[in-house]
Amino acid sequence: MQIITKNWEKIKPLEIGSYIRVGGYESLRKAIREMSPAEVIEEIKKSGLRGRGGAGFPTGDKWELAAKTAADRKYFICNLDESEPGVYKDRIIAEKNPHQIIEGLAIGAYAIGAKKVFIYINGHYDGAAEILEIALKQAEEKEFIGRSAMGSPVDIEIEIFRSAGAYICGEETALLNSMEGQRGEPRLKPPFPPVRGLFGRPTVINNAETLANIPYILKRGAKTFAQIGLKSSPGTKLFILGGAVKNPGVFEAPLGTSMRDLIYNSLYGGGIAKGKELWFVQLAGACGRLVPPAKLDQPLAYGQCEFALGSGSILVVHKGVDLKNLLFSWADFFHRESCGKCVPCREGTYRLWEIAKRLQNNDGREKDRENVEEILWTLANTTFCPLGNFAATAWQDSINLFGDQIFDQK
Amino acid sequence: MMEIKINGKSYQAEEDETILEVCERNGIRLPTLCAHPDLLPSEGICRMCLIETNQTKGLVPSCVEKAREGLEVFTETENVKKARKINLELLWADHAGKCAGCQRNGRCRLQDLAQEYDIDEFKFVPRRQELKSEDELDLVKDNWEHVAMDEENTSITRDSQYCVECRRCVKICRDMQTVEAYGMNYRSSKTNVGTPYEMPLDCIFCGQCSLVCPTAAITEKDDTKKFEEALQDPKKMVVVQTAPSVRLTFSEEFDNPPGTLWEKKLVASLKALGCDQVFDTILGADLTIIEEANELLQRIKNSGPFPMFTSCCPSWILYVEKYWPEFIPNLSSCKSPQQMLSPLVKTYFARKAKINPAQIVNVAIMPCTSKKYEADRAELTASGFQDTDIVLTIRELARFLRKKKINPATLKDEKFDPALGISTGAGMLFASSGGVMEAALRTAVEKMTGVALGKVDFEMVRGVEGIRCAEIAVGDLKLKVAVAHEIRNAKKLLENVKKGESEYHFVEVMACPNGCIGGGGQPQPTTPEIRLARIKGVLDRDRGMPIRKSHENPVLKKIYQEFLGHPGSEKAEELLHTKYTNRKKK
Repeated sequence: MQIITKNWEKIKPLEIGSYIRVGGYESLRKAIREMSPAEVIEEIKKSGLRGRGGAGFPTGDKWELAAKTAADRKYFICNLDESEPGVYKDRIIAEKNPHQIIEGLAIGAYAIGAKKVFIYINGHYDGAAEILEIALKQAEEKEFIGRSAMGSPVDIEIEIFRSAGAYICGEETALLNSMEGQRGEPRLKPPFPPVRGLFGRPTVINNAETLANIPYILKRGAKTFAQIGLKSSPGTKLFILGGAVKNPGVFEAPLGTSMRDLIYNSLYGGGIAKGKELWFVQLAGACGRLVPPAKLDQPLAYGQCEFALGSGSILVVHKGVDLKNLLFSWADFFHRESCGKCVPCREGTYRLWEIAKRLQNNDGREKDRENVEEILWTLANTTFCPLGNFAATAWQDSINLFGDQIFDQK
Repeated sequence: MMEIKINGKSYQAEEDETILEVCERNGIRLPTLCAHPDLLPSEGICRMCLIETNQTKGLVPSCVEKAREGLEVFTETENVKKARKINLELLWADHAGKCAGCQRNGRCRLQDLAQEYDIDEFKFVPRRQELKSEDELDLVKDNWEHVAMDEENTSITRDSQYCVECRRCVKICRDMQTVEAYGMNYRSSKTNVGTPYEMPLDCIFCGQCSLVCPTAAITEKDDTKKFEEALQDPKKMVVVQTAPSVRLTFSEEFDNPPGTLWEKKLVASLKALGCDQVFDTILGADLTIIEEANELLQRIKNSGPFPMFTSCCPSWILYVEKYWPEFIPNLSSCKSPQQMLSPLVKTYFARKAKINPAQIVNVAIMPCTSKKYEADRAELTASGFQDTDIVLTIRELARFLRKKKINPATLKDEKFDPALGISTGAGMLFASSGGVMEAALRTAVEKMTGVALGKVDFEMVRGVEGIRCAEIAVGDLKLKVAVAHEIRNAKKLLENVKKGESEYHFVEVMACPNGCIGGGGQPQPTTPEIRLARIKGVLDRDRGMPIRKSHENPVLKKIYQEFLGHPGSEKAEELLHTKYTNRKKK
């Protein structure tokens, strides 16, 4: 089943014509010419589409909230910040089929009544940003977007905003702060961005993959979409297979597919890499849970799995990998990326990193385990935003699964 | 109103009230570092005030969580206590931990909490102090923590070794004063409060940051050593003056309720330290009023320039000089009370007492960090010397007394020295916002009409609103006046004046909330509630004074007769008036 990756071989990303030939921009035309904004939102709500950035919030509800909030202007933002280690699906979409994102974005903007639209793209994604830039220009030339989108009075201006490459700026309120020229730090919620977002105006922020689903839903109808995948998690998802698999890369599969299927099925990962033995899987990136082999049969879907699927990364870790190196790399990443706003994250990630560094050098201390467990507890329970929780997840799983190997020193 | 339960007991809560506010109102203790009643809404940064409720998942900050119908709050669960303890341990290891020599020792919020939650050791390697031990060398390398020191100015000292990144300073400077001198620099564990590009502090030195700082990361620049040296120098004559407000707030430093008048204890304390003469800045305030009223009359006669702005607040002056130099001609040329009294001490008093003014050390006890800066201004040398030599905030004086083991409560009351120590109720009013205006009106209206005022109270300029306007009929003239406190309100007022939307004859501005009684050098904590009690103390004091108009101050009458001549005389111009400088960045 393909929604996002469909037609990728037929499309030349720098030529809008190749997208139009496979039916591109028909959904946008349909939305603007034949549907009211409320009808578009209704359709998205009926489709059951949920945010593909990780949290899985129902997209239609988000749009509706922004549409219903009265304001002199509204904003729509495509979140292409994608900073999770090992996750690059949004970049691939932008590189393979930029217009799919742009079309979804324009439909969303029309639905909530946003004239000003931004693509907030990871500062390291130079290639993807250039491709999107060209694609935007072509869409404007064709008058699909711009002052009179699809020949109507609807005004949709899309602009690319290059981020400075902070992990936390993928979090939507930190993203907004950074766009406003403030420090990239999360804001208090509520108010949520659809009520008070960019410059205090209602703002919808959707992940790029989420938006890439929109043209399909309008074209084939919410019903068709809702039948793909699971009832509570309809549609497909891009999964990023990495580590010790035969075929690493980005694969599209219906939601509800099991981790085992994704790793072993020849359509996807094709099994464990030669000469290696599966140890465990880390789901969702550095922020994700560790899954032991016995639990790989769980279906990957929102709220269906013991392990949150997040943005869809599946890292296959084989036996022989030095766990202490892994632990250090997680601690190092989250320490570096903590915004420094709240005490438990700012200090906790630092102390975790400090201890991880010593553990890596086989220089454990008597109270390390006790201290680490306290830090993990406070990260998981007391931080301002989820980054702190993320920093604790893989560590906590590591201790639960392999605690003695980590701290049993000397 | 609604009812919520806290730890099983019912309490009334108002719509929109946070749980922290309900708890504080009812004496339920919650530890806080970042929350402050002058900095609402709170953001929940320090994670100290976490609680559990029946309607939320996990731990939530009580400074953010609002009261709701049916809410049950638990402030002392195992998880709550665990969270406080771990987070405090983490924070403690990020702190200098040099308590004994610290300015805030015994009055530090972090130290308080550490004591309350039994944080008695560094659980982790402290990272804000030098590590010397060999086997920790590797850690020292990684323990890099940016420590910013700023001692470039004469008012405020920053030392980020003590900083807990609560951001109170950032918020008060940005939201109340609109100066935005501080921001957060760096990120992750290196996150640090700092100035843009780590430049020396460039602000108006109001010191509100030092007032709200929970630790010693931002403090008034300590001048107690200078003071001690002067006291010990047998060749020097130490002449002290005390600002109107500090006679009220001094008592708070020694655990009296806010608003307790301790004028005589203050004088006694200074005498006990060995000060030779103790004078009253209120006399300077009265002098300011006489000169300022005269200036206002001149401006009315010459039709402007209007509005005339008061010039008692050095932070306000600096704000105009730095950001609104086009309004410099509107500033009254009168010096502040401190700067009027100081040159008088080194000229008039020195001559009368037959002392070489070079031997006089002028010390001012102020509610204000900005007064330190003011004393240092190059042009304030009318006496032929730097007019004011040392400025101490009331916090420094109290700290010095504690160090010297002097307890004011046990001292016998003493009065100001009579040479420059007689004051009026009008001068007392300088302590709170609206007071300079009221005092000026008491004099100006009488001068304009030539008739003695029946009722001396001008209630229309009192109050706590940010900007207060009034129209006072004086003969044919409708005198339009306004009062503003906090720079955000002053800014609003300036914008309106500039746009031509507001016209005033006379405007009083104080940079600090509610005026000097909320000054940056006042005792900690200072909260809106405490300020109200202080205001009450000011008004009570004014009401109880035998003389309530500045121009009726008998000492001043004598000084004009013997020395100055008349208001606005050449001598007065030379000693009591000043000029301002455009300091706007190009």
